[in-house]
Amino acid sequence: MSTRKEVTLSLVSRRPAGLFAAGLVAVLVAGLVAACGSGSTASPTVGAPTPLRVGLGYIPSVQFAQFYLADQAGYYREAGLEVTFENKSDPDLVTLVGQGVVDIGIADGTSLIPAVSQGIPVRYVATIYADFPSIVFAKASSGITGPADLKGRKLGIPGKYGSSWIMLQALLASVGLTPADLELVEFPKYGQDVAVREGVVDAATGFVNNEPVQLELSGEKVVVLTVDAITPLPGPGLITGEATLAGPKKAALKAFVAATLRAMKEIAADPLKGWDAAVAVVPELASDRETQLAVLNATVDAWQSSYTDANGWGAVDEGAWTESIDFMSGLPDSPVAKPVTVDQLVSKELLP
Amino acid sequence: MSLTQAQAPKAARARRLDPAPVLLGAVIFVVAWQALVWIGGYEPWLLPGPLVVGQRFVDAWLDGTIAPHATATLLEIVLGFTVGAGLALLVGMLLARSHFAERLLSPYLVAAQATPILAIAPLIALWFGTGLLSKVLICALIVFFPVAIATMVGIRSVDKRLVEMARAFRATRSQLVRQVEIPAALPAILGGMRVGVTLAVIGAIIGEWAGGERGLGVLINLARGSLFDTPLLFATLATIALIGIVLYLVVVAVERRMVGARG
Repeated sequence: MSTRKEVTLSLVSRRPAGLFAAGLVAVLVAGLVAACGSGSTASPTVGAPTPLRVGLGYIPSVQFAQFYLADQAGYYREAGLEVTFENKSDPDLVTLVGQGVVDIGIADGTSLIPAVSQGIPVRYVATIYADFPSIVFAKASSGITGPADLKGRKLGIPGKYGSSWIMLQALLASVGLTPADLELVEFPKYGQDVAVREGVVDAATGFVNNEPVQLELSGEKVVVLTVDAITPLPGPGLITGEATLAGPKKAALKAFVAATLRAMKEIAADPLKGWDAAVAVVPELASDRETQLAVLNATVDAWQSSYTDANGWGAVDEGAWTESIDFMSGLPDSPVAKPVTVDQLVSKELLP
Repeated sequence: MSLTQAQAPKAARARRLDPAPVLLGAVIFVVAWQALVWIGGYEPWLLPGPLVVGQRFVDAWLDGTIAPHATATLLEIVLGFTVGAGLALLVGMLLARSHFAERLLSPYLVAAQATPILAIAPLIALWFGTGLLSKVLICALIVFFPVAIATMVGIRSVDKRLVEMARAFRATRSQLVRQVEIPAALPAILGGMRVGVTLAVIGAIIGEWAGGERGLGVLINLARGSLFDTPLLFATLATIALIGIVLYLVVVAVERRMVGARG
């Protein structure tokens, strides 16, 4: 018994030193990791391909077919690039790109606005999704035909954050509603499609190239509510760090953007090219060809809008960005910490 | 134990209660952290210094950003720990008394402990929803094993002569448990609870990551994934650490009081 008591007391009295040591080690390790990361941009040597670390979304999928095609068809190699793909979540990618650890990546435009407002030095350099892919979907039998019909309905969401949350608020604001006018049900692991299919909720947020596509393939008529005509929010696009943009890799980044846009156009003309490239990277996709091909087709549709038709693939609509900044800054729990301008967010230097 | 404490020199006791080493450790830690930020020239979005984090911590508490989340997490921890530790006491006593029960249940208890709670949490959220119940269950699950095992070991370690003496005085089974076994096993049980209460904090955060509207785990996700507010992320982590330290010290205080009084 006495031994036990002594142990108790000694733990209390000696713990601070242990805590200090552990904390110091943690901080030093974090600092070293950060330091290692910030110095990763090497100068390309003449004749040798320029290495580029490219960040894609969290999971390899058919939605990144343009990058896979550009790689496999040799467009990156022809441009003097040695590309390495890395799959990261959106928040991680924005930070890593800002730090210069990842040279260029694809991230949500709506993530960039709060990120830049916090001082993360990143720029949106090319539009990939010209239509905002986050949408609200419902079965046609629900009777929902527009945002006003959502009042009092049960709506599934992954959580009150991210692009879908911004989109939902914009959609509802267009008809004088707020999220409080709906019954929100959270599906943090993205189970909204099943919830809509099984009638657990009347509608849900999702992605135009995912849940509605799968629901339609199951034989259900689907209604999709988009936000583009209301508040033109910036969809996912290519982002790079300010330091990377101003550094020796600028020409390589420009070549990367051009090669990627070339692959996008080819896939739009012949989606099977994109399909083959995606299956080469993710063979599991072939087990569900019909669904995945439908996802790819819906993805390709979202790459184009009237703005990109008029201004070229990848074009960045600065007016739309301004509207988005104004909208997000005015939200009740605005994620925009400090005022930001379009010039701080967007760069057109890498567009063809 | 109280005898040991009573016999301990006053000087040694004063040394144990002296806050100076704690403060010195904290000062050195903060200075080293700030020095690292200065030397590395890190921006606050990458590695905020202690002054920035301290300011954000105060602001976030004063403007009501942290308080509702901290309250939700604390409630989950307290309920989860109470349920988990309570059940663990009963099961631990059963395991201590019955080798058959131990052989029957042990593989499942060990398997449940070895399975990452991070993998189970989304399933619990799926089955029980993303409300308070799922968080309490996750906390209870993570607390259960250390307390149950500590209880089993503690009761099995009770001096057999004490048990025989109680029986000689015709103590009933209930008296034997309440007045001999549990008091004698308290140091071990409370040791398990010290581990359990810190695990309960982790359980609550994991439960909140699996889904929910409130809680410090939700605030971490918001700060990191939606707001890109690294100082707020650090302030939230500091709040979680403080909750863990305070709850640990509460168990230590209870342990000192209960075990000391019975020594």
